[in-house]
Amino acid sequence: MNAALSWRDQTGSPTALVDCDPDFMIDSVLGHYRIVSKLGEGGMGVVYRARDQVLQRDVALKFLGAALAGEARQLLLREARAASALSHPNICTVHEVGEAGGEFYIVMELIEGKPLNTSVGDGGLPYESVMRYGVQIAGALAHAHGRNIIHRDLKSSNVIVTPEGLVKVLDFGLARRLVAEAQDAGTRTMDTLESAVTTGGTLSYMSPEVLRGEPGDLRSDLWALGVVLYEALTGQVPFHGRTTFEVTAAILREPPPPLPVRIPPGLAAVIQRCLAKEPALRYQRASEVQAALEAVQSASAVSEPSDQRGRTTTVHRGIKHLKVNSGDVVLLVGTMKGVFLLRSSAQRGRWDVAGPYFHGQATYALVYDDRAGRHRMWASTVGMWGAFLRSSDDFGRTWTNPQEAPIRFPAGSGAVLKNIWHICLGRPTDPNVMYCGVEPAALFESHDDGETWSLVRGLFDHPHRPRWMPGFGGLALHTILLDPENPQRMYAAISAGGVYATEDGGRKWQARNRGIRVVHLPEKYPEFGQCVHKIAMHPARPERLFLQNHWGLYRTDNHGDTWQDIANNVPSDFGFSMVTHPCNPDCVYIVPIESDEFRCTPEGCLRVYRTRNAGESWEPLTRGLPQKGAFETVLRDAMTTDSLDPAGIYFGTRSGQLYGSADEGKTWKKILDGLPPVVCVKSAVVGGDRIGRAPRNAKKTVSSKRRPPREKSRIRRKR
Amino acid sequence: MPVTFVLPGLLRSFAAGKSQIVIEQSSMTLAEALEALWKLYPGIRDRLATEQGEIREHINVFVDNEDVRYTGGLQTPIRDGVEITIIPAVSGG
Repeated sequence: MNAALSWRDQTGSPTALVDCDPDFMIDSVLGHYRIVSKLGEGGMGVVYRARDQVLQRDVALKFLGAALAGEARQLLLREARAASALSHPNICTVHEVGEAGGEFYIVMELIEGKPLNTSVGDGGLPYESVMRYGVQIAGALAHAHGRNIIHRDLKSSNVIVTPEGLVKVLDFGLARRLVAEAQDAGTRTMDTLESAVTTGGTLSYMSPEVLRGEPGDLRSDLWALGVVLYEALTGQVPFHGRTTFEVTAAILREPPPPLPVRIPPGLAAVIQRCLAKEPALRYQRASEVQAALEAVQSASAVSEPSDQRGRTTTVHRGIKHLKVNSGDVVLLVGTMKGVFLLRSSAQRGRWDVAGPYFHGQATYALVYDDRAGRHRMWASTVGMWGAFLRSSDDFGRTWTNPQEAPIRFPAGSGAVLKNIWHICLGRPTDPNVMYCGVEPAALFESHDDGETWSLVRGLFDHPHRPRWMPGFGGLALHTILLDPENPQRMYAAISAGGVYATEDGGRKWQARNRGIRVVHLPEKYPEFGQCVHKIAMHPARPERLFLQNHWGLYRTDNHGDTWQDIANNVPSDFGFSMVTHPCNPDCVYIVPIESDEFRCTPEGCLRVYRTRNAGESWEPLTRGLPQKGAFETVLRDAMTTDSLDPAGIYFGTRSGQLYGSADEGKTWKKILDGLPPVVCVKSAVVGGDRIGRAPRNAKKTVSSKRRPPREKSRIRRKR
Repeated sequence: MPVTFVLPGLLRSFAAGKSQIVIEQSSMTLAEALEALWKLYPGIRDRLATEQGEIREHINVFVDNEDVRYTGGLQTPIRDGVEITIIPAVSGG
């Protein structure tokens, strides 16, 4: 007679049922329960759907598969009976605990749902769901703890979620007690731990104090709750390893790996506190966890939902993210200590601020790439751990963090990448092409969307290169301009090397600095060696470039063959930043700086200067900008325009202020202050619904004959 | 006897969150121990070393309590059982 049959007539031998084929149990009758089908099988035993033939309802019947005797048996029964007294909407009701054939079984409420561990998946659940579940689990624990019942084996497979989102916690006080007693309550060793893992698969949820052999208390349940919530959010338990030893070591000593950025900081903080190694540092009651989760829940109800996942590996805590809609303007602000993102509607009156991303690292280069339907932001980061190129396709929620630095000088070149100063997108017809200008001065190109990069040897092997000299900020190739009409022509600006151009796609490069004066060499008009701070081009006039030199403002009308001085009535021709108007090719913005020695705005007045006639004359734009005691510096990439009409102009200062104008510079507003020193400001109009308009004065040549006499006396120059 | 690497916070995100990595290999130089480390966790290499294979300027590596700058750099011999600690320098602005 086999054991299954012995259950049918309840007279057979007490052979361990778990040794039998569980399917034999189908149709067996145990007391007034008829077993209908198998529901599942876990480390602790087999669960069946059974029919209560007295009350005419379906129940779940679980065999615990362990034989106990004496005091342990009494203890288990006492505890199980106490657990069966629990009545709470989030606790699976235990109808009966019994013993038959030497084995314990539990008859409990049948729940139509899925264990949490089976619905988590690799990427975790949306945090809104996790908070809802967390509140219910904490509520269940609070109810049980209030009746002196500790779960002792809370894990995601013991949490069932119904299709309506109702949580039911299973097996209060039972399973772990069984294991512990079965293990003879001896000294805890690696062997007993191994055994616990094999039997229950629950090592991942064990608290440090339980691992140390202490009895554990309700706070051990709160630890397990932290593990369950962490796992639900990320798809992984916080402490893992290949061996029991590794897992144990991680639980005892390692901090949990940081949660992904999409998780609200409040929720992350609750989990972190549940996972404090010392019980005294955790929440002391489940009701506290429940209250904390409810508080986070109500706080996040007013913030935007997020279920976006990334290819990310970067995690920072405490970051706010942007919710960006089509038509919005986004500002990308790189500082010495991280990136901030700002968003506004096209009115550009109010700004939401997100960040800081890349906490503690400097970002000199940012760009928004909307070629080929992307919404990608690129950023370069630099710190003591090196310089890396990162991207985000979800407006900063997640960023790539390449294992290997993709931009690297070839072995044997002797050069070491110090910083990435400029990220330049290829032409719209080449949506997978990108360029980077780096320090030490070199150009890198990618033809596969930034995945792999190669050094442009034509420029790196240029005979001039050994004689380029670092400027104050280092020897950097900081600006790359592509000729929109000639796909073979591009420009590179190097400080201090000067302007170089190629006419054959990068194989050969020529210095193009004729007419640009230097102050740091005995020869005033050398072929190269100029300390160019910025060059700018309007796509409607690709033959014309503007240039802000270390000292001097220049324009070329012939692709850089010759340059002419355009420093007409500006307070100083020293400066760093220079941008062209998005529509008007004769309109350029600069921020004059007093001198190379005193790198601040002249006379303590923060003034943007604008020309609308390609440099024949300049006008100060000051409405809304501080005109007293404002000793500011605007660095070379810290000014930008947007592509709306009227154009928005934005700039950041080394003192951490961000200013903007929504009317082409007529009036200014401080958007933000208190930032780390701003090194880079870029803009994006999201969604491609740009308000286009024909370039004003396109192709109109500015005649040098019409230039007014220079007001040299008002111009601070170094000659 | 294994050699243990002790990682600072930033590198842990490239080592599955671990602060200590044990390498089962004996009789080697620091360069070989590092090779073994980033064979396990490739993301660590480019954070710790430049593309020319040198340890980055502001990163200090200690074998037990000795700064490897004074013990032979990457050729520092690694005895069994030592701890190799990677710590960012006190620098920056």
